[in-house]
Amino acid sequence: MEIDNTFGLIDIAISGMRAQEKNIKLISSNVTNAQSTDNGNGQPYRRLEAVFKTDGDGVGGVSLDEIAVDMSDFLKILKPGHPDADERGYVTMPNVKLPVEMMNLNVAALMYQANIAILKRYQVMVETTLELLK
Amino acid sequence: MSKISNIIDLLEAGIKAEGLRQKAIANNVANLETPGYRRIDVKFEELLAKALNSSGSVDLSKIEAQIYQPKQTPVKSNGNDTNLETEVGEMVKNSLRHKTYIRLLYKKYKKMELAMNVK
Repeated sequence: MEIDNTFGLIDIAISGMRAQEKNIKLISSNVTNAQSTDNGNGQPYRRLEAVFKTDGDGVGGVSLDEIAVDMSDFLKILKPGHPDADERGYVTMPNVKLPVEMMNLNVAALMYQANIAILKRYQVMVETTLELLK
Repeated sequence: MSKISNIIDLLEAGIKAEGLRQKAIANNVANLETPGYRRIDVKFEELLAKALNSSGSVDLSKIEAQIYQPKQTPVKSNGNDTNLETEVGEMVKNSLRHKTYIRLLYKKYKKMELAMNVK
């Protein structure tokens, strides 16, 4: 016997909210580490990006598939005297670009809100149906 | 077909289970950051479905809603597996179910009233 399939839509909206929350966490990590020249292994911080996948086949929620590491080139800035500077005075900086992160943050926050909008609207829909029982 | 003659008992059991589940959700939200805490949920619908599928009559007073740990959500680094989004979703579902049961109960009483008002 299949129990409780009526509220599958709520689970989908919630999975979207959770996925975007993790996405925002990664963006926050990128922004915070935009100046971290050492990630513990002598390399600058590499920006992270969330990759999402659909749960199940067809209709389903979303989940974080993997946390991809951005392998694009590091930036070099002239900063003689910095402990991580090379012999010519250049410091390798993380490949984080703040405008890109801010744009991604906007998208992620909007996605989060969109999922909440669906959740709210569905709630109203069910309540309207329940009005029939009055 | 129908094993349960009294629909009011059924609704009452459902409402009781929803009340307990609301408590469980409140407990989960209160312990969102408690290290080692695993979220709890209420098992009732499964037990009811099992009872309805089995042969013989169903005694609703014997079907007791149980609190259990689903242990299905991913565990965070502090050993806690709760998150606010899931709890909000569960709360929405719970309140919608609760509303449905209350409305059905209301309708049932309305019917009785109608029957009593015949002049």
